[in-house]
Amino acid sequence: MNFNINARSLNSSIPLIELEGEVDVYTAPQLKQQMISLLEQGHTEMVVDLTKVEYLDSTALGVLIGGLKRVRERDGNLPLICPSARIRRVFEITGLDKIFDIYNSEDEAKSELAGKETV
Amino acid sequence: MEAGGEAAVVELRIPARPEYVGVARLAILGVASRMRFSYDEVEDIRLAVGEACTTAVEWAAKNQRQDTDVLVRSSISESTLTVEIIDDAGERQEPAESANRDPDPESLGALLITLLVDEVNVSSLDGGTRVTMVKHAG
Repeated sequence: MNFNINARSLNSSIPLIELEGEVDVYTAPQLKQQMISLLEQGHTEMVVDLTKVEYLDSTALGVLIGGLKRVRERDGNLPLICPSARIRRVFEITGLDKIFDIYNSEDEAKSELAGKETV
Repeated sequence: MEAGGEAAVVELRIPARPEYVGVARLAILGVASRMRFSYDEVEDIRLAVGEACTTAVEWAAKNQRQDTDVLVRSSISESTLTVEIIDDAGERQEPAESANRDPDPESLGALLITLLVDEVNVSSLDGGTRVTMVKHAG
């Protein structure tokens, strides 16, 4: 199956979940599991990187919205990195681009999140 | 595409399980790419068919009918692609409402389909459901 998930650090305090390939009904449960595991470790802020995602469906959107809901309950956030117009379009047509903070690159996410930390 | 005006039909039957939805997406990508659809329209069709198959597979799981199949039938005419997703996944009962539920991917899926294709029709069959989607080229 064309799917990979990898968790690493964006900076000293924020984890980054990198996804690659197709995030759909078959693979989205792995994303959910990863997000739950980070929540259980006490992270209320995490970034999901969709740069290498080639396909994303409503199951993946549902998992991301569920994750966002949970971190926001704890005053956290779940920004996305999504440079691909094709993937971003799925967020746009469903109106979810207004719900999520979406960055174009890891560098942009890093500087935006660092900026917020100092405010 | 067909000179005589008669629609060509491509059928694919997949097991009603999550790991096969990607196979249906690949097949429809092949079908839609042969027609006069733009790159974005081909992507729209791929996503819409993926969503319809996902819903069928999820109902098969809910109704414990994962041993059934989902039929993806594409009818190709010169400027119109009609895709029927026919499952044998049992009756689609409305999910129980609960305040703590995550957003329902199925309603997101239904929303996406509505936005991505020109026409969509859902009809109940004996023991399953048929979703018919129509997309016009150009």
